[in-house]
Amino acid sequence: MKLFYSFIKELKLASRGYYFYIELFVAFLILFVFLFAVPATFDSKSSEYIYLDMPKEAKDMYLEEILYKDIDKKAEVVKVKIDNEKKDALLYITEDKKIYVLNNKEDVIDIADKERKTSGIIKIDDENNVKYEYYLQGYESQRLKNLLKILHVEEADTLKEVMDNQDVRSISTNYELLSDRENILPSVLVFNGSLMGLFIIAAYIFLDKKEGVIKAYAITPSPVWQYLMSKVGVTSFTSIISSLIVLIPIMGFKPDYILLLVLLIVTGFFSSSLGLLIASFYKNIMQAFGVLYVVMMLMILPNIAYFIPSWDPSWIKIIPTYFMLEGFKTILIGNNDFIYILSVSGGFLITGIILFVISNERYKRNLLE
Amino acid sequence: MISVKNLYHSYNNDKNYQVKNVSFEVNEGEIFGFLGPSGAGKSTTQNILTGLLRIQKGEAIVAGYNVRDMSKEMFNKIGMSFEQSNVYSKLTAKENLDFYRKLFDVPTRDSIELLKLVGLEGKENIKAGNFSKGMKHRLTFARSMINNPKLWFLDEPTTGLDPSIAANIKSIIKEKNREGVTVFLTTHNMFIADELCDRVAFIVDGEIKLIDSPKNLKLQYGDKLVEVEYVKEGEIITEKLSTVLEKDKKSLQNIISRYEIRTMHTKEATLEEIFIKVTGRGLI
Repeated sequence: MKLFYSFIKELKLASRGYYFYIELFVAFLILFVFLFAVPATFDSKSSEYIYLDMPKEAKDMYLEEILYKDIDKKAEVVKVKIDNEKKDALLYITEDKKIYVLNNKEDVIDIADKERKTSGIIKIDDENNVKYEYYLQGYESQRLKNLLKILHVEEADTLKEVMDNQDVRSISTNYELLSDRENILPSVLVFNGSLMGLFIIAAYIFLDKKEGVIKAYAITPSPVWQYLMSKVGVTSFTSIISSLIVLIPIMGFKPDYILLLVLLIVTGFFSSSLGLLIASFYKNIMQAFGVLYVVMMLMILPNIAYFIPSWDPSWIKIIPTYFMLEGFKTILIGNNDFIYILSVSGGFLITGIILFVISNERYKRNLLE
Repeated sequence: MISVKNLYHSYNNDKNYQVKNVSFEVNEGEIFGFLGPSGAGKSTTQNILTGLLRIQKGEAIVAGYNVRDMSKEMFNKIGMSFEQSNVYSKLTAKENLDFYRKLFDVPTRDSIELLKLVGLEGKENIKAGNFSKGMKHRLTFARSMINNPKLWFLDEPTTGLDPSIAANIKSIIKEKNREGVTVFLTTHNMFIADELCDRVAFIVDGEIKLIDSPKNLKLQYGDKLVEVEYVKEGEIITEKLSTVLEKDKKSLQNIISRYEIRTMHTKEATLEEIFIKVTGRGLI
């Protein structure tokens, strides 16, 4: 019961402070941005700016070819902004790209030079061979440059045939793909949900140290671990609330919320215990800020691997947020991989308990520091 | 109630002790004053006795519990009022006390009754953060009584309070002592110690220099003098005369019979004067 009373007291204190409302405000802000600013699926169509430097007959044939691939079979006359001037162009929209056909060579060079867009000129030489002249920006990868070099060596039909003959099989089909917007959610859950506890619990501890109330608590029959656990409880509670504020309107009832709550609670417990341990070494938040900052930055690193799967060094898997991200993504995908989620949760629970026990010992020894 | 033997403490865990070979006993039902200037080791000793600091060397028994192997149950028997107020500023006065009531395993006092006792009646629903320094101090003092302690640690209980409130606090201490509560009073204020304590210990540089009752100390170290102020031929004259020397006794009789007496006081030594005489140090 004492733990419950301490939790209620902590909840009252939190609700009368700024941190609680900042966390909720940020959750609503994220939700607002997700709903009204982030599209469900990002526009992945690339834009090509070309000029057809060829006789009219050849040009008409080429445009006819493009028109065939156009979704609505119509070319649209549009204005393209080049160096603050609006130039006429024809726009063709296919399934995977937007093709702007410009009216002269100068526009192609200007759009590359002034607007920093990759463009090209397609021409026919004296021997009736099609030639491609690309205007790149310089930052393109060597792989892309090499691809452009070989792309036109083989006939397009040959390339298509080779690609069609590639056998691609899915090992598992028991999942739904996340939309681009949903794919960002694991990152939000990790940072606004779980990791926020690390910083906020440290702030709560330093506030108590400043007011001296830890000393007053220490001369009561209640054990120190209950004092610490009541704070962990409040940070976990607020992280669950702020996570659900973002998650429910976007995901609806698609994810398994029981698994999600389990993972939110154990990851919140882990990061709060880490925050407690860090705070136990310092007298005030100014002294602890450097370490808190470094830890937060380290925890952000797996985010890069999450969004750029080709960068996934093995050492990144030592950082706990790597498994937090994977765990939340698995839940949101909804493939019911209970064993993976419970294994990850168990890992965070055990590590959290170890950190909490060490913190408890430190607070028992160093109450006056 | 308290037994301390050969207590040492060093904050740096070296031989530079802030408390050195301190030994004393506090009997049940007495008010024991622990007096000394700032940095003398008063609070360090008190923090060891209340478990806020780990005991390093020596022995201490508090309310029947060995401090070296302290049980949380001990805190049901003790109360502590801190020199620096330490209450939750975002909770009201009543919420502060109500929360602490729930942390004890023994019957506790009603929060409103305690607030009334320390003169905070009608302020129960105001957040402690909006209190003045003196009001916070009284709230901290009230909290120390919440579990009806048998042993009461008071650290500078009247510091920063105006005289009427300080008088109220002193009368509460006296009343609780009459009810049988043992009081361990830490202070550098010799007047409050003189008024309240059955015995006092003088501590300087971490060492106890002397332990005795204020009355015995005055008898032992005080000069037996009378200061008399009288009017002689229109002039006001002040003289200090011994109550022991025959010559001074006769002079005093002469003054009383011949002149108009304006004031006359026996001049006992104050605890502060005795402290300076014994330790060679002031109390600041």
